[in-house]
Amino acid sequence: MVNEGGQLYTMEGVAAGVIMLLTAYIVVSTTSIYTTGDTHIPDMQLEQLGSDVLAMMDTRDAHGDAKSDLVTCISTTDRSGFRAAFCKYCNMRAGSDDDLKMNAYVYYRDQESNTVKSYALDEEDFTTGRENAVRVTRWVQVSGKPSNLSVGDVDSRTQAVLVEVLLWRA
Amino acid sequence: MACMNEDGQWIVLMGLLVAVGLFFLALIINQSALVGQTTAEGVLEFPKNDIRDLRAAVFDYVDRFGNADNLSSRAVRQDITAISLERKNAVVSFSAGAPQNVSGRLLRPVTIHYNNGVTEYDETVYY
Repeated sequence: MVNEGGQLYTMEGVAAGVIMLLTAYIVVSTTSIYTTGDTHIPDMQLEQLGSDVLAMMDTRDAHGDAKSDLVTCISTTDRSGFRAAFCKYCNMRAGSDDDLKMNAYVYYRDQESNTVKSYALDEEDFTTGRENAVRVTRWVQVSGKPSNLSVGDVDSRTQAVLVEVLLWRA
Repeated sequence: MACMNEDGQWIVLMGLLVAVGLFFLALIINQSALVGQTTAEGVLEFPKNDIRDLRAAVFDYVDRFGNADNLSSRAVRQDITAISLERKNAVVSFSAGAPQNVSGRLLRPVTIHYNNGVTEYDETVYY
């Protein structure tokens, strides 16, 4: 015959056990602190924004235009123009402007040595190396050596170059 | 034990239920920081913009060179292949053929191959 005494104590004991287990689980799982930065959500948003901006700059203003703004900026090495346009499109939002920082580089292939080289298109924003920056890219076809360029070893042929923009939130 | 007071069992039971319920709410809050992580990582992982951009670059190339195979067209193809591999870790190749009659329009078959190790993309488009 089972003794039916102490049912309440048994229940209390089981309940205390369950609660202690749950507490231990929550404490252990909370010590691995997840910040929103770890979830890559801001990265994803920045990358989409940057890609869209570059795609927009690479779209001709009107049907029949010879070049897009981006191609013009690259082929004339218009540093300030590129910065002004890119930052304007990036930072535009309802209300006050955003404050995103960026540096831009151009990667090209040197035909003679068959190596990929780069020059800085716009490196005004200061980086500490600890920014959570994302990289967005866009292909541009230029029909000769970009003008106003300080580095001398870009081939003077029709070539495809890759514009890379590092984008981060200060 | 014989003298145990068995009054108020319902109150104790309800107290237990509330405690367990609170723990489930805490669990939900605990997990809520992760909302959107898989989505964001999926978006970052899949090179949608890269592929679109590559297509645009290939179409620029076809606009300029058609299906010509000479020194300057080969150089541009090598540009795209080499820079893709170096900067985007993607194996890329593409080619354009002679114009064909497609529903009354003369279009070139353009084949594009893209593989960055995670995503592979092949396309033949009439352009």
